Amino acid sequence: MGLADLLNLLASAVLLAGIYTTMSIGMTVIYGVMKMVNLAHAGFMMLGAYFAYEVSQRTPIDPLLAAVLAAPLFFLLGIATYGSMVRRVPVADVPTLPSLLLLFGLWLVLQNIGYAIWGADDRSILTPLTMATFRFAGITIPIIRLIVFGIALFSLVSLHVLLTRTWFGRAVRALTQNREAGQLVGIDTQQMAMLTFGLGIAFTGLAGALLATLYSFTPDFGGSFMLRSFVIIVLGGLESFAGVAIGAVIVALIETFSILVVPASYQLAISFILLVVALLVLPGGIEGLLQRRRLVQ
Amino acid sequence: MNAVASPPAATNRLPAGVAALALMPLLLVPYVGLPSNVIRLLLVTLLWVAMSLAWNLLGGVAGQVSFGFAVFYGLGAYTAAFAINGGINPYVAFAAGGLVATLGSVLIGIPTFRLRGPYFAIATIGVNEAVRIVMSNLEITGGASGYRLLMTGRFSQEEHYYTALGMALLALLVSWYVMRSPFGLALRAVREDQDAAADLGVHPFRCKLTVHALSAFLTAMAGGAFARYTTYIHPDGVFSFATSISILLTSVIGGLGTLLGPVIGAVVYSIVQEEMVVNFPQFHLLLYGALLILIVLFEPGGLVGLARRIARGLRVRLTGRPGGPTVARVPLPRVGS
Repeated sequence: MGLADLLNLLASAVLLAGIYTTMSIGMTVIYGVMKMVNLAHAGFMMLGAYFAYEVSQRTPIDPLLAAVLAAPLFFLLGIATYGSMVRRVPVADVPTLPSLLLLFGLWLVLQNIGYAIWGADDRSILTPLTMATFRFAGITIPIIRLIVFGIALFSLVSLHVLLTRTWFGRAVRALTQNREAGQLVGIDTQQMAMLTFGLGIAFTGLAGALLATLYSFTPDFGGSFMLRSFVIIVLGGLESFAGVAIGAVIVALIETFSILVVPASYQLAISFILLVVALLVLPGGIEGLLQRRRLVQ
Repeated sequence: MNAVASPPAATNRLPAGVAALALMPLLLVPYVGLPSNVIRLLLVTLLWVAMSLAWNLLGGVAGQVSFGFAVFYGLGAYTAAFAINGGINPYVAFAAGGLVATLGSVLIGIPTFRLRGPYFAIATIGVNEAVRIVMSNLEITGGASGYRLLMTGRFSQEEHYYTALGMALLALLVSWYVMRSPFGLALRAVREDQDAAADLGVHPFRCKLTVHALSAFLTAMAGGAFARYTTYIHPDGVFSFATSISILLTSVIGGLGTLLGPVIGAVVYSIVQEEMVVNFPQFHLLLYGALLILIVLFEPGGLVGLARRIARGLRVRLTGRPGGPTVARVPLPRVGS
């Protein structure tokens, strides 16, 4: 394998990592503030995908723009979900079983509403850019991936600004670190949980819509991406926002380069095994590992 | 220790009595001239009862929710299929399937039970999918085209029916015995508070591993019986995540941690499945999802909890006072506490 091939793989891994980060950050935000594992993640990603599909079919709006429009809409959807259901289950410092089962039930409902509306046919979104590529120094990059990467990056920068420059972000970070201490200094946890859930779902819907421009999808869409998100946030240490990016890069690199050693049909199995291994040997994620090193020294 | 050896029997006596009463007509089923389609439905229901009870030991009694029981179901189905095709007695084949699944459960349990409740649950999703993908790609399982059992001799639905009945009874007896044994108390202690249980001398890791193995064995037996009945299995079916979901749902719908709950849940599940799959193939999962949401939000005790609440309400209305010994409602365990 030549250097050019290596660079090509590296480039596609980096582009993949961008969208993976956006996809997983929604899960991290929700986990951080509410200590809930969002098992309905896949359902909202699927809805995001079909939202982009429907908008691009029925209106002249470009699917990529539709994906961006999905974010505010899914924010509202997340708030509605929180208000009607999620609000009622108990929260604790670790995920509770009722929350897990509730969100899992919601996934089943969303997935099968999807089947009821759109059937089981494979759909895909074609844009004028789908086939276009961009060549640079021997590396070939599909333009659409570049744009998706750009949108993902922009969303992450926005989130970073939100988390570091606003009171809302400060409250989110406080609750993530210590829920009780956050309550003591007067953070309205109910309201924060509602906004956070909305924010998490907004990112999930956006990621689903963006991924729909890259891959074909059915109402089953999202299941494997949800598991990848688990792997990523576990690698990232579950509640660290920077850790998510590290986790996404690792998963993207492993997925991209494992093609060289493992048959393609086993690709997904690697992510799942990685999930179990990450849960076991890296309880604090990569960052936790680095911190432990630092403490030892 | 005597106090430990006799857990509250009131919660167990009634379901056991009901089960004994229900058993007599069940024994006669093949001989009262029911259409074979109805017998088939009962047979499938009984296998679901067995699996639901098995899952309930781990998920309900010990509070360790697993999304990965299709692994054991599939291992049981495939082991039994290979053994039967190899000319081994079917009942020995079922037991062999159970043993393979037990071994599998230990291999899965040793790493994953180092994780607390919710993280264990997520890890089992990963395990399930990884196993399914590997099995789908293995030559030996027949891959996507599946695997066919070579059947010799006359097809006897009665025999299949009694096999299923036997498995449901076995699961029921094991569950009953475990729930009233000191081991069952230890499991409940682990469910309620693992650290406190450990302080009292319970070994949480060992308890979980044991009950996981027991559940896996029973699930695999049912998987083997199912494989023999349908004579055709394929990895994307028996190892599918949907199978895991169904096993979990039957228990949760019925009532976690109870003896009667999984039985009722499995019966409801099978009947709904039968009606829905024919008429609205996609809607049954929608229904279960909605049911799951409603149960979590309004009646964490499942259908059994609902029935108890209604019974209590009626008793209050009829007698005008809160009735005798109220049975403790079994709430959803707080995983990971």
